[in-house]
Amino acid sequence: MAEKWHPDFEQLVDEHQSMVFSLAWRMTGDRGLAEEVAQDVFLELDRHMHRIESHEHALNWLRRVAMNRSADALRRRKVRGLDLWVDIEEKHGAPTEERQSPLSARLEHLLSTLPEAQRAALVLRYQEDLTPEEIAATVDVPVATVKSNLHRGLKLLRAKATTNLKEYIRGL
Amino acid sequence: MDFEWPDQPEKIDEFERELKQAMERRPAPPSLKGRILQQRSARRTERVHSYTVWWQRLAASVLLAGVIAGGYGWRQIEERRKGEEAKQQVLTALRITNQVLNNMNRRLTDRNRAEK
Repeated sequence: MAEKWHPDFEQLVDEHQSMVFSLAWRMTGDRGLAEEVAQDVFLELDRHMHRIESHEHALNWLRRVAMNRSADALRRRKVRGLDLWVDIEEKHGAPTEERQSPLSARLEHLLSTLPEAQRAALVLRYQEDLTPEEIAATVDVPVATVKSNLHRGLKLLRAKATTNLKEYIRGL
Repeated sequence: MDFEWPDQPEKIDEFERELKQAMERRPAPPSLKGRILQQRSARRTERVHSYTVWWQRLAASVLLAGVIAGGYGWRQIEERRKGEEAKQQVLTALRITNQVLNNMNRRLTDRNRAEK
């Protein structure tokens, strides 16, 4: 019989804060909001620690809750009538990632203009390296829908990149 | 140009590679962990406090219910005692009346006998 897993909350925060924060940032497009979402997600984890059975379970749980909370935050924003995407560098004065190339930064910005479901699928695919089946389990939609969102999202992103990033990309 | 999702991973092209690179995880702000732990601690303190308040309210409610039940019980007993007392007084009054009537009856009988 497998030994019961005893999670250490601080260790889980250390290991996964970057993942949760990045998912929230890419889904909401707002660094400040992403920090709030990340805090809420980990506080919720603290309340559900007794239900977490393994490291893998914690990782999947965090991904799922981070996506749900980000979607909730976006919906609250829509209700308040604010812009969905805030230019983070301008609004929050956060430094641009030094290691991020201008092309990556522009691609990330274009990603933020995609519909929410397509953005979610692409973020989980390319940030978290998940398969369509894993994405479907994370966002709780049919695999066919995820595949469609990935396909359409990538197609739309390519089209936007072709129009907007000619100076960077050749051969798209 | 067209992307065939998902069963051909070998078709990952330059665009997707660039996208993957753009989508690397960003480091969380250094203060995030501290804030999470601080809020967690504050929530736990709040939870302990709310448990204490909850127990205090429960204890106060039980005490109040006890006082009300005790008061009601005492009132019932007191009413029964007063009823018993009044009953005894009535019985005593009836006994005295009975005695007086008996005396009167005896005197009347004696007077009738003397007149005859």
